[in-house]
Amino acid sequence: MIQARTRHRWARSLVGAVALALVLAACAPGEEDSGEAAGGGTVKLGFISPVTGFVAALGTDMRRGWEMYWSEHGGKAGDTTVQTVFEDDTGDPEVALTKARRLVEQEQVQLVAGPILANTAYAVADYVAGKELPAIQMTGADDLTQRKFDPHVLRVGYTSSQSNFPAGQAAYDEGHRTAVTICPDYAFGWESCGGFVSAFTGAGGKITKQVWHPLGTQDFSTYVAQAKQANPDVVFVGSAGGPDAILFYKAWTGFGLKDKIPLIGNCCFADQVFLRETGDEALDLSSFTYWVEGRDSEVVRKFVAAYEAKHKEIPSLYAAGAYMMAQVVDEALRKTGGKIEGAKFIDAARQVSLADSLYGKLSFDDTNNVVGPVYQTRVAKREDGTLWNTVAKTFPDVSQFGSEGKEAFLAHPVFSRDYTGVQQ
Amino acid sequence: MRWPAWVPFAGLAVLAAAAVAAPYVLPGYAVTLLTLMFIAALLAGSVNLLAGLAGLVSIGHAGIAAAGAYGVAWAATRDLGLGAELGVAAALTLAVSVIYALTTMRTSGIVFLMITLALGMTMFGLAVKLSSVTGGQNGLTGVGRPEAVEEWWQYYFFAAAVSVLCALAMAVVSRSPFGLALRGIRESPSRMTSLGYSVPAAKFAAVVVSGCFAGCAGVLLAWNAEFMSPSVASFPRSALAVVMVIVGGVGTALGPFVGAAVVVSGEYWLSSYVERWQTVLGVLFILVVLFTPGGIVGGLGDLTRRLARRRRPAPGPAAPVVRRDDPSTSAAAVAARSHPAGKEES
Repeated sequence: MIQARTRHRWARSLVGAVALALVLAACAPGEEDSGEAAGGGTVKLGFISPVTGFVAALGTDMRRGWEMYWSEHGGKAGDTTVQTVFEDDTGDPEVALTKARRLVEQEQVQLVAGPILANTAYAVADYVAGKELPAIQMTGADDLTQRKFDPHVLRVGYTSSQSNFPAGQAAYDEGHRTAVTICPDYAFGWESCGGFVSAFTGAGGKITKQVWHPLGTQDFSTYVAQAKQANPDVVFVGSAGGPDAILFYKAWTGFGLKDKIPLIGNCCFADQVFLRETGDEALDLSSFTYWVEGRDSEVVRKFVAAYEAKHKEIPSLYAAGAYMMAQVVDEALRKTGGKIEGAKFIDAARQVSLADSLYGKLSFDDTNNVVGPVYQTRVAKREDGTLWNTVAKTFPDVSQFGSEGKEAFLAHPVFSRDYTGVQQ
Repeated sequence: MRWPAWVPFAGLAVLAAAAVAAPYVLPGYAVTLLTLMFIAALLAGSVNLLAGLAGLVSIGHAGIAAAGAYGVAWAATRDLGLGAELGVAAALTLAVSVIYALTTMRTSGIVFLMITLALGMTMFGLAVKLSSVTGGQNGLTGVGRPEAVEEWWQYYFFAAAVSVLCALAMAVVSRSPFGLALRGIRESPSRMTSLGYSVPAAKFAAVVVSGCFAGCAGVLLAWNAEFMSPSVASFPRSALAVVMVIVGGVGTALGPFVGAAVVVSGEYWLSSYVERWQTVLGVLFILVVLFTPGGIVGGLGDLTRRLARRRRPAPGPAAPVVRRDDPSTSAAAVAARSHPAGKEES
């Protein structure tokens, strides 16, 4: 009896010790920025991205891109020293909002950059703009710079539909007359498909079927079968990337459709995560996007080389996007002489135009969104055998309003499952 | 051996004074976290009401809270006024609670758990898919607070007051004859049936009452964030509420507050410094379940009793080590209900 109790105690102490060790391990030092102010002024920026949770990979890449820009520039914008306070939003809007409050109220940052998911981005932008501080965003959510435009919010990036307008037009120009779309059944998918569908039908094409699959689908065979049955001239995939894209493509090739029906992807379909997993099966795959790691440009070459040297992988769209945010903030700070004053700062940032950047020749429209090139890409092999995307065709100066123009575009509702801009 | 009767009251009075003083001494962000804690405590309290009294553990309560929250948010984005916001929230909460109650009133244990899980997922799915009403994944922006509680400190007092009043109301429910009947059902449904009680009816009422409190938490949530998105209905929200209850102490009135304080400070404060804060929280959860099955509140109760006993040794032969709390209100018992091997102590 007594023996049993002693053993019990031993077991408990052991569990306690293991637990303590785990806690200590979890406390491994996180990276804290400790840039001391030296000469010139100092600005304090907040950066929110999800580095834990289900989209941790995106958030980690974002943080790396942001850090890389500032370390390349000695942590300075002109004479102004730039400090960044990083926060993790775990991919949850409520957490993102509370972290934004911490950054603004406790850390007293003067600007907030990020996060990435549409719902977290709306929550943060709404709050930050309410405090009359500038918010720099890279999320795709269309309405942020359209029907919910706010002079405090600047998107250094493309809307979800923007890069897919050229996809629809190009598909028609290549001689395709019927198309099937396959997109995830939530805002990003609706908007991606909306871009393609509105441009394709606007040019005179016909959508024979729109397939919606839940985010995180394991088995794509039913969806691929639906596309096969419709037997269109072309299939458009508006994927959010990750496992969905990989599993879809497995099903696609498994059904033997690879050389039967032409397939085109959106920004996030054939990214590096996808290419590492699918291998040579993905060669020649065509997408429409704005970040092309194999584009023939000095800026891109330097960035990819530096990033690969440091992190041993080709940078993703998210690393490039955060790098771009940092660059625009830098340019704007130089213009304002290191001052950050709410909407005035965003105004200065909107005037920034870059002759070449990671995305190419870039400027902003009057609702604070990028006007820039969209590339039709083709998957090819680099000299060392790594798969990457290369530019097949460039569509310069694509606007978030497509070819319709601002008024006409804003007159119809935001893209949804029920409205993808089909024009008869 | 007991403390003098005034000690617990003095303790509560100190806590209350601290809560009132908080906005005057603490920085704004800390008060924001306290606000979140009170709201989380209310949701955890509604789970605790079911778990503590009837032994029914729900891991879908965020779904009911979301009904209340979406009610407010939907009415607010259409500028229907405060009355309509509360009306829509109340109607939605009640409707969803009744659905929860109807589908679970004849179940208990693991079946109850699974059905609430499924209902929670359904609510989440609806929030994502009904985008014309809920804004889908993008959520609803422009949910303003009522004018009287617009400022952050006003809202803190408001949330704290609602949370504490609801906690008192739940304490009243648990001491009422209805609460006693639920305890009886938890211990032996067959005996309660033979005494003439209708077990399903009592469970139905319990889920609806608990759902109403969850709906209140949802309303507070929507006003606090001034934004609404499907993640409020998501599984992690429901699961965290259960974690709060177990860490704080199942069946204790203060437990949800303590649990909410631990979880909220982990989620928002610790996570700014420690990337793997979830590991810390998980380890804490394991330690609590292993060492103080009555949660932190139950464990503190045990500790003070033990200290008091040491001060003045009890006369006669050493009393056998008896667990103070009746085992069915402890976390171990909740676990035991779904997993009989958990009862190693008895």
